[in-house]
Amino acid sequence: MLFLFIFIACLVFQLVLPWWIICPIAMGLAFWKAKTAGNAFFSGFAAVFLLWVIVGLFHSIPNENLLANRIGQLFTLPESQFNWVIILIVTGIIGGLVAGFSALAGFYLRIAFLKPARV
Amino acid sequence: MNFFKAGITLLIALTLVIVLNLKLGDIPPLGKFLDPFHGFWNNAESRKVDKNKDLTFAGFKGNAEIRFDEQMIPHIIADNNYDLYYAQGYMTAKDRLWQMDFQTRFASGRLSEVVGKKAIELDKYQRRMGMMFGAERMVEEMKKDNQIEETMDAYTAGVNAYIHSLKPEDYPIEFKLLNYKPEDWKPVNSALLLKLMSATLAGGSNEFYMTNILNKYGPDVVKDLFPDYPYREDPIIPSTTKWDFKPVEVPKPSADLEVKGEKTSYNIRTKVLKEGIGSNNWALAGAKTASGMPMLANDPHLDLTLPAIWYQIQLISNDMNVCGVSIPGAPGVIIGFNERVAWGVTNVGADVLDWYSVKFKDQTKKQYWYDNKWNPTKLRIENIAIAGADAVLDTVYYTHQGPVVYLNEQKPGSFAKADNIPEGYALRWIAHDASNDTRTFYMLNRAKNYSDYREALKYYAAPAQNFAFASIDDDIAITPSGYFPLKWNDHGKFLMDGSNPANDWKGRIPVEQNPTVKNPPRNFVSSANQFSTDPTYPYYLNWEFAGYERGHRINNRLTVMSQANVDSLQSLQNDNYSMLAENILPLLISSVDTKGLNASQQESFGILKKWNKFFNANEIGASIFEIWQKELGNEIWRDEFADEKSPMRFPSRDRTVEMLLNEPKAKWYDNVNTSKKETREDLILSSYKYSVDSLEKRFGPMNKDWQWGNVKHTHIPHLAKVAGFGSGFINNGGSKTSVNAMSESNGPSWRMIVALGKNMKAYGVYPGGESGNPGSFYYDDMIGTWGNGKLNELLYLKSKSDNSDRIISTWKLSGK
Repeated sequence: MLFLFIFIACLVFQLVLPWWIICPIAMGLAFWKAKTAGNAFFSGFAAVFLLWVIVGLFHSIPNENLLANRIGQLFTLPESQFNWVIILIVTGIIGGLVAGFSALAGFYLRIAFLKPARV
Repeated sequence: MNFFKAGITLLIALTLVIVLNLKLGDIPPLGKFLDPFHGFWNNAESRKVDKNKDLTFAGFKGNAEIRFDEQMIPHIIADNNYDLYYAQGYMTAKDRLWQMDFQTRFASGRLSEVVGKKAIELDKYQRRMGMMFGAERMVEEMKKDNQIEETMDAYTAGVNAYIHSLKPEDYPIEFKLLNYKPEDWKPVNSALLLKLMSATLAGGSNEFYMTNILNKYGPDVVKDLFPDYPYREDPIIPSTTKWDFKPVEVPKPSADLEVKGEKTSYNIRTKVLKEGIGSNNWALAGAKTASGMPMLANDPHLDLTLPAIWYQIQLISNDMNVCGVSIPGAPGVIIGFNERVAWGVTNVGADVLDWYSVKFKDQTKKQYWYDNKWNPTKLRIENIAIAGADAVLDTVYYTHQGPVVYLNEQKPGSFAKADNIPEGYALRWIAHDASNDTRTFYMLNRAKNYSDYREALKYYAAPAQNFAFASIDDDIAITPSGYFPLKWNDHGKFLMDGSNPANDWKGRIPVEQNPTVKNPPRNFVSSANQFSTDPTYPYYLNWEFAGYERGHRINNRLTVMSQANVDSLQSLQNDNYSMLAENILPLLISSVDTKGLNASQQESFGILKKWNKFFNANEIGASIFEIWQKELGNEIWRDEFADEKSPMRFPSRDRTVEMLLNEPKAKWYDNVNTSKKETREDLILSSYKYSVDSLEKRFGPMNKDWQWGNVKHTHIPHLAKVAGFGSGFINNGGSKTSVNAMSESNGPSWRMIVALGKNMKAYGVYPGGESGNPGSFYYDDMIGTWGNGKLNELLYLKSKSDNSDRIISTWKLSGK
């Protein structure tokens, strides 16, 4: 559930706001909805990882991954037709980590301030 | 405990956000850059191009249409010139905005603002050379000319219309990489790009080196090794041409010629002069072509970069229909054709840059000694903003001659661009003078005949160019054009005493007396950066020009050419034959005593003897010869003309060839650093061994890696050297002394052939593509064609109503 919320909220807000909006979104939604620390982190990570990979592919497929392959070389990978896969995964991981830690922080903030019954 | 966990994770999350939003060294802000909503993924363009579009612009006066051909080259059709240049600005920005921004920053010394401290010396250098000073004066001059002012304003408005339409996710990828924003375009930016051409093509100087040579070896050696006219030449204006004008009086040399006593500064390393910035052009009269109509060809050579240096375009309005290449960032077409005429340019190596010693009255530098009295200096304070650091203030002092580029002890120790600049000298440079060069192109774009061409050239100042011309009336012509100061012989060959008014420039060669030839008996004109004229021309332009080899080869081939067509001119543009090899290889081969050679040197020698003197990609002989002749030159001159303390340059290739062929006993062969007395033959042999040994060291025993294409290793880097944004290895032929003057990353930046006539046909290609976006399929789509020496047929719409099935998309532009 939390996963879906983060996914949808990030998709909508990122259309107009800078990338770091994923941090308050994941934090806020986890504060509200997260059940466990693991649930918070993995929901945040997976939601944004998936979101960024899908949107990346949306841009990259019509481009036949031309640019993503060049970006691979920019990040010192050897020239290859498959650099884009690595760049896409790194993209997902970067977004995922930010959202994952933000969600985790949101969850711990709640238990620090609201002391929910489960803990 | 819970607070602790909350605090730690919050800290991690916020740190991640902050760090990933920062540019760290050369690493872009990763979160921002990888974000698929706004980051680099947005620059990945679809292979499918935009369908037809309607755009509206505030300030547009009528309607316009942009039709794109299959290479996305825009063909702009407008009701009036304002809208036309507006649309050119808009389109150019759409394709090349970052290139325009970066090059104007580079030219004006504003790179530190975006890349930080590492560019500070470069920024200081550009400002101290007076790049902005020159550009500002150019803008003032353009403002006095209504048509040109309107042109610049329209172009600027178009560029800004595009910039203002951008959201951050639309910024060209390099802005995202370097983490900065485009700023509004100004007419002075266009002027800066023209000044940048002057810096590239007419910004070199030898005076510092020559003065050191004069001091060390005296006038006789200078006269012998650095003569005022080469041993072999084939001047641009054929020797039979008569000068049908009465020359004006040339100023007399200043009596004191204090040059010999000028003190020079130290602590500077020698820069070996780089050859390769040069070009070819020629025009054939109808008598030499299969169609009976004239033809014109041009290939300007530059340091090649991506995005492509030029921007192809066609511009149609009520008073013109011109097609060709433009400078991204400047209105109009620079090299091209219309329905009646075609023109192309190559560089003129005239001396338009001189150095004058400056004696300040005191430490305040407020006054300098000139004409037997103290005169006030002018100050220009340069405020250099630096990303991630405090701004730096830099004061540049100007005498009436120009900026004192470096004061004594001011020159940075390790900054290659400044190597040939003497400390404590003021720079007199044509690029600082007010000029309205844009008018030349404005008029050429609309030229109908020879007299329009002549009229247009009157406005041209710098960088001086050989304008080759052909018209449908079967007129052909070539004119070395520009502002040429009136000079006595060798005026400015050495550093000069700045306090003596006699040393100053005194006016120009009257523009109608610039060298020119129209319809010469040989039925063709050509240029390849060699001497403009033979010594009968009544004025002095310079003591040295580029070597004669390319020009001579072109003239040899054009002389015997008849029934010429596009294929024959294309084969000449791709000619890899080396005149240098023709001149010296027989001597070199006959001088080698093969007894002392090892097995691999023997094998190579056999290949060289069979080599056809073409620098084709697959020739191993070319690789051996190139390294051999270069090393031979080094071994001859290095011991006498490379001095850490007092930098000098080597005598020219022409003088070296002359000495090798005609002066077998010259004293210069001896290496003064050894007790042995070396001979010409000794050096030829040792440099030969060096050549084979160095190839073996790099590539192992002889194999296909020794082939010239691989040894030369042509590739085209990105303008900011971003890895992955350049081209791969391009396996092609060519050499510095071939018509196809290709070296590692320098060569033909545009090849064009125009066959005039009722059914005019034009061909062209550049190493790159129309788009400046590395994420576009149109970024480098012409490189393959270019690398193979092929050309694309250029689409030339004959009129507003002429449509073509090569058009793949059409935009309609109108006012708001």
